[in-house]
Amino acid sequence: MNVTITEEGNKALVSLEGRLDTTNADQFMKDITPLMNGTHEEIDMDCTNMEYTSSQGLRMFLMLQKNVSARGAKLVLRNMKPHVKEVFDITGFSHIISIL
Amino acid sequence: MYGRRSISNRLSRYVVLLCAGLLLVITLLVGAFSRTLIERGTISLASRELEVVTSDVERVVAEVERAVDNVDWFVQQHRSEEPLMYQATRELVEANPNIIGSAVAFAPGYFHGRHWFAPYTYIDAHTNRIQSIQMGNESYDYPNLDWYRIPMTQGRAVWSEPYFDEGGGNRRMATYSAPMRDESGRMFGVITSDISLEWLSQRMAESTLFNGSYAVMISERGMYIAHPDSSKILNQSIFDVASAMPDTMGLVIAQKMVTGMKGTGRFVDVNGLDSFAVYGPLSNGWSVMLVSSYLDTFFNLYVFNLIMIVLLIIGLIAMYFGCRRLIRRKTMPIVEFSNAAMTMAKGNFNAHIPEVKTRDELMTLRNSIEYMQRSLNEYITELKATTAANERFESELNIARGIQNAMLPQDFPEDGRFGLHAMVQPAKEVGGDLYDFVLAGDELFFLVGDVSGKGVPAAIYMAIVRAAFHFIGSLGMPIQDVVRQVNNCLNDGNKNCLFVTFFAACLHLSTGELEFCNAGHNPIVQVKPDGSASFLRAKPNLAAGLFRDFPYEGEKLHLEPGSRLILYSDGVTEAERADTTQFGEDRLLEWAGHLLPGVSASAATLDLYSRVKSFTQGSEQNDDITILSLQYGKQ
Repeated sequence: MNVTITEEGNKALVSLEGRLDTTNADQFMKDITPLMNGTHEEIDMDCTNMEYTSSQGLRMFLMLQKNVSARGAKLVLRNMKPHVKEVFDITGFSHIISIL
Repeated sequence: MYGRRSISNRLSRYVVLLCAGLLLVITLLVGAFSRTLIERGTISLASRELEVVTSDVERVVAEVERAVDNVDWFVQQHRSEEPLMYQATRELVEANPNIIGSAVAFAPGYFHGRHWFAPYTYIDAHTNRIQSIQMGNESYDYPNLDWYRIPMTQGRAVWSEPYFDEGGGNRRMATYSAPMRDESGRMFGVITSDISLEWLSQRMAESTLFNGSYAVMISERGMYIAHPDSSKILNQSIFDVASAMPDTMGLVIAQKMVTGMKGTGRFVDVNGLDSFAVYGPLSNGWSVMLVSSYLDTFFNLYVFNLIMIVLLIIGLIAMYFGCRRLIRRKTMPIVEFSNAAMTMAKGNFNAHIPEVKTRDELMTLRNSIEYMQRSLNEYITELKATTAANERFESELNIARGIQNAMLPQDFPEDGRFGLHAMVQPAKEVGGDLYDFVLAGDELFFLVGDVSGKGVPAAIYMAIVRAAFHFIGSLGMPIQDVVRQVNNCLNDGNKNCLFVTFFAACLHLSTGELEFCNAGHNPIVQVKPDGSASFLRAKPNLAAGLFRDFPYEGEKLHLEPGSRLILYSDGVTEAERADTTQFGEDRLLEWAGHLLPGVSASAATLDLYSRVKSFTQGSEQNDDITILSLQYGKQ
């Protein structure tokens, strides 16, 4: 899973690429730590090249969402592939995370 | 132990072969150099010898000529006195050891009108006594013989071609004839002196350089005057012999000799031997040649080379054994190291490593082995500790697995109204998947859940989920209330955002009424009595444990007797084989659609599991697999 973060004022543009599963979930957590500790008002994640996420991965998105909500900021996931979006739909995560 | 392949043998062979090669090259070079030196030396030696022979013969020839000249005046003075003529010839023979015969031969009719008058004194070939005769007569008509005729014709002194003097000296000889003149210059006869060809042959025979080398003398026409093979003398010419040789060099040399040239030449003789000749002329037109074959010339060199080669071979053999012994002794520690290493390999890490005193590679090897021994000891000690820790951890995990298995009900009710069977196969020792069921009168409560993640963290959470469900589910509340309660229960103290997806349902066995609530779980499979299979797309709601008081909504479904439900975790649909193809929902649905009506719940569960296993073809299981199959109605 490659995570690329670029900052644009108060906005963080994040590009996700590859598979997110149990083996690299911890690394992903480290990769997104700047987003958890940051002061961005808006986090925009581009999921065009994200191939897969496991339940462990969902947990990471959830933690980020909780963190973002707690400080009144906004998290958006974009351009998700249908089979990845399906996981978010089935688990009901699409209710709590904004997916465009 | 290693025989021919041992290091000592191999190294010795290499050393000896190397030396043999070097010595061979040196021998060849020395041989070639010696050959050149010997060839040059021999030719210069032969040239000097030729000069000696030539001057010896020249001296004799000159003496003979001078003796004749000396007696010429005496003969002129007393040319009409018969006894003095005999005396003159006798004095010539007696005074000159090289003269074997001498004559004063008068022209026909000159001496007191006698047709033949030729007093001749000679050394008898048999008795060796000096005798004098008058040799001219009808049978020895000397005016027609060369020794008389040629000087008389040419008017000067000449050496005759060698000849056998039949009726004269009766031996092989060469004659020097000088014409006699009277006061008016008219020639009236010749004075002659003979020299013996035997003497020349003897002199030539003394001039041998080596065994097999020889000297020959030829006349102006090439006739042999002296030759080691006396049958050739006066019988063969050098051209006869040279023309029988394989190459033409012999003829070239012969030609040069008869034209009075001096030089050296190389040729192949009649026996095919490569030979060389040194030749030079005498003042009287004769020519002397020293001949030797190269075989004879280099004979000593060849003998020397042979001895050297034999000595070298003996030396190399001695060197081989010496080297082998030395190398074997010097590499003895390697054998001992090898034994020590073998002892270590068998598990005795305290094997004694032999001491080495030399500060060389062996010392390095010894230190390496010692270091290896120490490292091995440390490593093994560490490994033992690690293994013990791992074993402890593993046994704890096994105990945990037992506990986790015991949490999941294994006694599936045997009831005429329904059949139910379920299984969990964790990807690791313990997992986060769970199933449960509670039968209370007419109601069958059941669920399948999947905790996020896997392994020990998921297992701990799974235990909480299972405990919450088992308690709340048995309270008889509507299904959505059960789920809401469980969700709230899980939300307490869940800082790590762990969550669980599940499908929980309550089946009213008498009516076939199914109340269910989905918390973000995979769609379950419904098989209708006619065998058609489809996914039950329930409302997703939300995975449990995330938001307190989330309004989970329940749904209802009527099951016809003979229906089946297949609940599962994503470990089934996302089971992957080596090429990353997943088992997938389509295969699952296809499998369900082919289930035969009479198949029991347990058979269906195990069959799906074995399908998944055969699909992954032994690839490592990447997620926990849970299958629950329910059959409603008569079995």
